[in-house]
Amino acid sequence: MSSAQKLNAFLLPLSILSWLGLLACTLLYAHPTLLEPTVAVPNWLLLLMQAVFTATVFIQERSRSDRLRGLNFIGLLRQLVLGPGLLATACVGLHLLQQLIQNKLPSTGSLTYTVIYTVNVALFVVLLARTNYAWRSLVLFRSTNRLRSLWTWFEVLLGITLLLRLFTWTLPYELGTALLGVLAAFGAYISSHQKWVAYLNRHQKLEAVLLQLAVIIGMGVFVFYFLQAKHDPELVAPATQNAFLLLNAFFAGFYALMGLLVTFFNLPTAGVFEQKREEILKLQRLTQLIQRGQSSREIYQMFFESSVQTVDADAAWLELDPGTEEEYEGQYYHILPEQAQAIQHLLADYNLGHIEYLNNDLLNSSGFRNLNLAYGSLIVMPLRSSKRQYGALYMLKEPTQSFDRENLSILQTFASQTVLSIENLQLMQASLDTQRVQDELKIASAVQDSLIPKNLPIDNWFEISSHALAATEVGGDFYDFLHLPGRRLAVLIGDVSGKGVTAAFHVAQMKGIFHALMQENPLARNEREKFPVPSKFMAQANTALARCLEKAAFITASLYIIDYEHGGFVFARAGHCHTLYYHSIKEEVSYFRTAGLGLGIIRNEGYEKHIKNQFYDYNPGDVMVIYTDGIVEARGADQEEYGEDRLRQMLERTYYLDADEIKEQILTDLNEFSKGQPMHDDQTLLVIKFKASQPEPSV
Amino acid sequence: MKITQQSTENSLTLSLDGELDASSSVVLDTELSKPEILRNQKVLINCRQLNYISSAGLGVFISHLQRFQDAGVKLVFFNMQEKVHNVFEILGLDSLMTIVPSEAEATAI
Repeated sequence: MSSAQKLNAFLLPLSILSWLGLLACTLLYAHPTLLEPTVAVPNWLLLLMQAVFTATVFIQERSRSDRLRGLNFIGLLRQLVLGPGLLATACVGLHLLQQLIQNKLPSTGSLTYTVIYTVNVALFVVLLARTNYAWRSLVLFRSTNRLRSLWTWFEVLLGITLLLRLFTWTLPYELGTALLGVLAAFGAYISSHQKWVAYLNRHQKLEAVLLQLAVIIGMGVFVFYFLQAKHDPELVAPATQNAFLLLNAFFAGFYALMGLLVTFFNLPTAGVFEQKREEILKLQRLTQLIQRGQSSREIYQMFFESSVQTVDADAAWLELDPGTEEEYEGQYYHILPEQAQAIQHLLADYNLGHIEYLNNDLLNSSGFRNLNLAYGSLIVMPLRSSKRQYGALYMLKEPTQSFDRENLSILQTFASQTVLSIENLQLMQASLDTQRVQDELKIASAVQDSLIPKNLPIDNWFEISSHALAATEVGGDFYDFLHLPGRRLAVLIGDVSGKGVTAAFHVAQMKGIFHALMQENPLARNEREKFPVPSKFMAQANTALARCLEKAAFITASLYIIDYEHGGFVFARAGHCHTLYYHSIKEEVSYFRTAGLGLGIIRNEGYEKHIKNQFYDYNPGDVMVIYTDGIVEARGADQEEYGEDRLRQMLERTYYLDADEIKEQILTDLNEFSKGQPMHDDQTLLVIKFKASQPEPSV
Repeated sequence: MKITQQSTENSLTLSLDGELDASSSVVLDTELSKPEILRNQKVLINCRQLNYISSAGLGVFISHLQRFQDAGVKLVFFNMQEKVHNVFEILGLDSLMTIVPSEAEATAI
């Protein structure tokens, strides 16, 4: 339980107890002979009881949560009227009951009178507290901090007045009156805060006037009752206790009266507020249309309908420029397309087509008179952004002088919102298209990734380590392995000129060619002709590519066929980067500088002359580094290329390591070199190390 | 990339200045695609200021090679920097195209 809840749990019994105390005191005060022996109740005790009761009721009401829910002012007032309405009815009912009893039983009359009076005091205090804090909700609605602190001061002053009632015999009459005056003035000032009235529409304002009248009447019933009681010959309580109640009633009634007047005088302007509200709502709806991602057709229609309604046009049409919209070509309202065309032609003749234009005296123009149309006013509102023109809205009214600056400015707002919506929609469409392309690229990337051999050939006669990184989603580098019968391994590496999807297509093509050409030829006359030698492979690949490779494109490739049973390999280089090689016997690192032309450069039989086979017998411990130009052409900080020399030096330093470690060292050095530089080209690196272990005898 | 042209009676010299990459090779391609270029006996490419050539740049020369040969126009490169020459060489283009060290040798051909 929070401290506020604890306080409340304590306050309710206290207020009931104090009221019972008040009842007892009042009874004894009015009828001192009620008990034996006679008890004289002092004034201050009675007043103290009333003060405690009033204070507890007010504090309880104060600590309640705000009764105002959002902008539901009418609900708040209804609650309030229902409360005091019932209380006032109860009060009047009790009063009538009392008179009835009094007439019949004059002897016990004064005792009943006292009880009913005390009950009425309680009812009035509850009513005042309710009204007071309902008014607080209204006064403090969207208020400043200053007003909040003023309100607190007002409460403090009220409390002091309550306390002063206890010592009233010591306070001079003039001072008391002055204090009351100050408090009343304070209350009047606070009553002038009626901000909430502006948030009501016409209907609500009327209802608010009636409800506030009801509050005043309810309050009036009580005040009338207490004023009557004051002059009653059978006065049951000291007159002073009335002052507090009356002061509070004055404030409550005054605020209701002020609210009533403000609401009443605001009634005629309610229409204007409602229209503005309607305009704002339409703008909001226009804005929401974008967020819901609806069609441009709906946005144009919304714009057209909102404009026609807001301006209350007699006729209107929306003309869209040709090619602006495929599914929507404008619309007409109470006008024939021919008439609309005639007016547009006339405007174009006056050089007024598609610009913002307001004419409130059409009949003054001979051109319009000749059209024989019964319209006196015209507004043209173009739909355009800084980039382009979409069309224009035309609105007509029969009387002259019927459009004003206000109409023009709201139409401007509508038009700019519409253009914004349309352009947002187009942007959204464009981004969706881009997203689709990106998604497809992702798929292409995944497909290409699946083309890269995942399982490297494993044998105890060599080690292979590979690395491939594409600069964009799809790359132009490729490599592949194929086991051939007789302990042979074919290794292909290459690079398609250009980047992106086209290059990726040719990569897939090259892989297809590789697997197709590396099939065993059943017609071969001897063992050697069963599989094409690398130069033959290149020539056949060149022929295959000649027809489908675009004019300026070419492919570089190297094919190695390693025969690890005999410890040798044969390769052909078709314009691809030179192979880097470590000779373990000579203890020397060098490039195989062989000649060879790229694929697709010469697309006829002449190609075969430009490609050669190279044979080499390797030794255990030899290392072969195969790569694409993305490695040697990687740029460093000063735009310098990584280069063949750096690569050679790296192998000189690392040749004794495992294939994996050699690859890692080269990549680390390369990444260090090109740190912070964008990656221009795909990078592929293969390291093959021939090992010392002896081959197992072939089966 | 800057391309300057110098025309004599029967030859045209194009001096390339800068990097011949994917975007600048489009400009070069436009120059080499002009029909009137085939009226020359020789088209000389001065590569002194050519610092870099990409595969797209090589592609431009490759795509026009056959057309020039068919029209009997000689395509001669001269003043080529070492690293650019290396690119031509790796691709095997040095065996297809005429690459000479100096302008004097280029005009003498």
